[in-house]
Amino acid sequence: MSGEPTTGSLGRSVRRKEDQRLVTGHGRFVTDLELPRMRHVAFLRSPVAHARITGVDTSEAVGTGVRVFTGADFADVELRAQSALPSYVETGQPVFAHGKVRFAGEPVAAVVAADRYRAEDGCELVEIDYDPLPPTVCAWEPPEEPVHAEAPDNVLLERTFTAGEVDETFAGAAVVVERDLVTNRHSGNPMECRAGVAVWDAADRRLTFWNGTQVPHIVRNMIAELMDLPEGNVRVIAPDVGGGFGVKAVLYPEDVALCLMARAMPGVPLKWTEDRAEHLLAATHARDHRYRMRAAFDGDGTLLGIDADVTCNVGAYSVYPWTAGIEPLMAGGLLSGPYRLAHYRATVRGVATNTAPSGPYRGVARPASVYAMEAMFDSAAARLGLDAVEIRRRNVIMPEDVPYKMPSRLVDDSGHYAECLDKALDLIDYPSVRAEQERRRAAGEAPIGIGVALYNELTGLGRAASAGPRMPFRTGHDACTVRINADGRVTVFSGVTSQGQGLETTVAQIVADGIGVTYDDVDVRIGDTDASLWGFGAFSSRQAVIGGGAAHRTAQAVQAKLLDLAAGLLEASVDDLRVVDGRISVVGEAEPRISVAEVARVAYLESHRLPEGIEPGLEATRFYDPIRGAFAAGAQVAAVEVDRTTGELTILSYVCVEDAGRAMHPQIVDGQIAGSIAQGIGGALYEHLVYDTDGNLSTGTLLDYLMPTSAEIPEMVIGHVSRPAANPLGVRGVGEGGTLGPNAVLAGAVHDALGIEIDTLPVSPSRVWEALHAQEVRA
Amino acid sequence: MDVHLIVNGERAHVDVEPRRTLADALREDLGLTGTHLGCEHGVCGACTVLVDGAPARACLMFAVQADGAEVTTVEGLQDGDGALHPLQEAFVAHHGLQCGFCTPGMLMTAAHLLDTHPGADRETIRAEMAGNICRCTGYQGIVDAVEAAGNARDTPA
Repeated sequence: MSGEPTTGSLGRSVRRKEDQRLVTGHGRFVTDLELPRMRHVAFLRSPVAHARITGVDTSEAVGTGVRVFTGADFADVELRAQSALPSYVETGQPVFAHGKVRFAGEPVAAVVAADRYRAEDGCELVEIDYDPLPPTVCAWEPPEEPVHAEAPDNVLLERTFTAGEVDETFAGAAVVVERDLVTNRHSGNPMECRAGVAVWDAADRRLTFWNGTQVPHIVRNMIAELMDLPEGNVRVIAPDVGGGFGVKAVLYPEDVALCLMARAMPGVPLKWTEDRAEHLLAATHARDHRYRMRAAFDGDGTLLGIDADVTCNVGAYSVYPWTAGIEPLMAGGLLSGPYRLAHYRATVRGVATNTAPSGPYRGVARPASVYAMEAMFDSAAARLGLDAVEIRRRNVIMPEDVPYKMPSRLVDDSGHYAECLDKALDLIDYPSVRAEQERRRAAGEAPIGIGVALYNELTGLGRAASAGPRMPFRTGHDACTVRINADGRVTVFSGVTSQGQGLETTVAQIVADGIGVTYDDVDVRIGDTDASLWGFGAFSSRQAVIGGGAAHRTAQAVQAKLLDLAAGLLEASVDDLRVVDGRISVVGEAEPRISVAEVARVAYLESHRLPEGIEPGLEATRFYDPIRGAFAAGAQVAAVEVDRTTGELTILSYVCVEDAGRAMHPQIVDGQIAGSIAQGIGGALYEHLVYDTDGNLSTGTLLDYLMPTSAEIPEMVIGHVSRPAANPLGVRGVGEGGTLGPNAVLAGAVHDALGIEIDTLPVSPSRVWEALHAQEVRA
Repeated sequence: MDVHLIVNGERAHVDVEPRRTLADALREDLGLTGTHLGCEHGVCGACTVLVDGAPARACLMFAVQADGAEVTTVEGLQDGDGALHPLQEAFVAHHGLQCGFCTPGMLMTAAHLLDTHPGADRETIRAEMAGNICRCTGYQGIVDAVEAAGNARDTPA
């Protein structure tokens, strides 16, 4: 076998393979696809939150020559997210609502026309009659009329996590902190909305579905099942996808509708491009939670117990296939974060309402649960007269505690939190920020506050800790195929998907180094279920660990065959061969003996030269499953100025330090962290999907739903603690951690600056102003 | 309706309904799919193109309004010989893009910014680029890229 290559691409910020096409306007997004005889689809959506459908009349629309599909057409197809959890109430989601509608924006019909303009004209001619029912918007108010008959109280799932002796612990505590915290509904909002093109080949009974999805293999599996098709006859292609963040890890009724309509119109490609108004109405939302928190501390600030009651608004449907459990179970499992805790009780529930379904969004529940947990420390520190940093130091899981069994029985294998915190405090120059805070207080200048959050990101989950609440599938593994072509260049067919994370680049780096060829000699194909064997896709910060691990294992297998063949050709011992930059040499010799290209040519074109017992071809396929996961530690610290007159915050400095393990492409790692912090800041300060009491979304455009721009997001300082994880590449997932801190950091900074507790997010100027005003009235 | 315009230096003609947006005419009638639609209501900036040298939201403009105009899209940024525009090169070098969906609009806005504010500092860049939303990068790489392209331009060769 070869030794370590003397050169290599891992660890270097090589030029991304994706960028040439993306900066020149030659990306390949689903909506860029133009096919002969293509028709365009517009969905008609319910204008009311909760109602019985009493009449459907398509005659006027059909009279104009368009094709119309309604609930009756596909009433036998239903999306049913499944879980084996005992308390789970399974409910169904129709392709088009029939019988009743459960949220404003739910698709009730679709019109197929020559272009999108005519399809929308057609929608205006479809008449649907609604008989309104009382809507439920807030998950912690009892329903007048349940969303689903199967769940009269709207509770789709409830579970209590327990460890230790909670009541006794609280009885003996020196300090008990109690706060009710409410987090704001917001969403991933990738810049490319959802999109699909479906075409049905009736002769071969084959479906091709271009879909802007994070999970093409899951989509293939589910579409085949829902449409009763052989899985091999369904091809799902996710070309360039313009951001995902979890929103596109869901199979939506619109996706299924597109495929069903295509089957009803053989040979006619159907295209749907979602617009932003539809996206805000009907793509998955997230983070609409309430945490009733109690925390027990002893007199020196040691956390003794947590008693929590968590309600998550899961919207109108149990999101397919992740279920209504995705947010509540994550909240209950990770609430205690990176802190030692023996006595824990958390009842979590997912409650249906007449709002858009909640689904996975970068960080799943933890931006909210980290906020809830850190709020306990901020309040306890204030009560005990401790520094916010000091109280966290006294409780955080340290390397000597690892492996640490959390009260939810997850096993933390990191322990590098304090190291991240120390580095973050250095980078922000904590003593001088505190000194400036004091100076301003004394001088009566605009107050500043410091916010702190520590968090653990559970990444790269293997089969033992697989994502999702006991669903019918386990997402621990991915596959990769590596092929050295006859010219010596390498093509990789990877099961990973990319929505901006640069997986074509990272996988090429891994394979190049794993075989011993140059980065430029490797091309990576992703996002086509006909090309790659298997991959669950992008979620749970899993692909660097799992898809990367599969690429590494496969490259090693191909290298083994390459060297076997070379050893036969060179009449050398395979153990003496090394392959570096596409050239194979014998240990101890100055010059390489043969190139990878020459060996590859033999493998495909010169079978007469093949050594005895070696088959033609140079290809391998391998799977990888890390079995467990890799915890990634993180710490964020910010200094924030508050304008007492307006309540507006100005972030003066924002520091994040994470343990990403070994950084395969440092620039991509930093880009993931910066982007996720920006999304976290957006959720903490600006983004809020607001429903009125009738269930109408009142933030239906980007003029009302405020996404942060370059003017709002501050310069960020990103630092690293690189502790290799226990997997072949030593990597930890880095996609989500950044989102976990900002709620806690920014609410904590306001608390630190003004002494007011922010219990409801976002931390908007009006909320800060009102809290300040109330404080002044009390004073 | 007949619309005659110059797109990326070449004469173009489309026959469109009055309601057809410039974005749809560019993407669907002229096949220039580099111009992306992120919101279709003028906020996100992904569809930004230059119309007679000034940035415009192609989703808010009807194609008929561009009759007689000179339009530059992201496809027109490269040299005739295919070399990347300094901004394109800087976006690649500084990781100014991840998914690449907002990138065409960012590049067109930045191209206009560097033409009108040659010595723009980071604060100016952040203020001037605030009409374009990126969901991936946290803007750090974009500001780095625009700043670097501006500095490179200011440095005499």
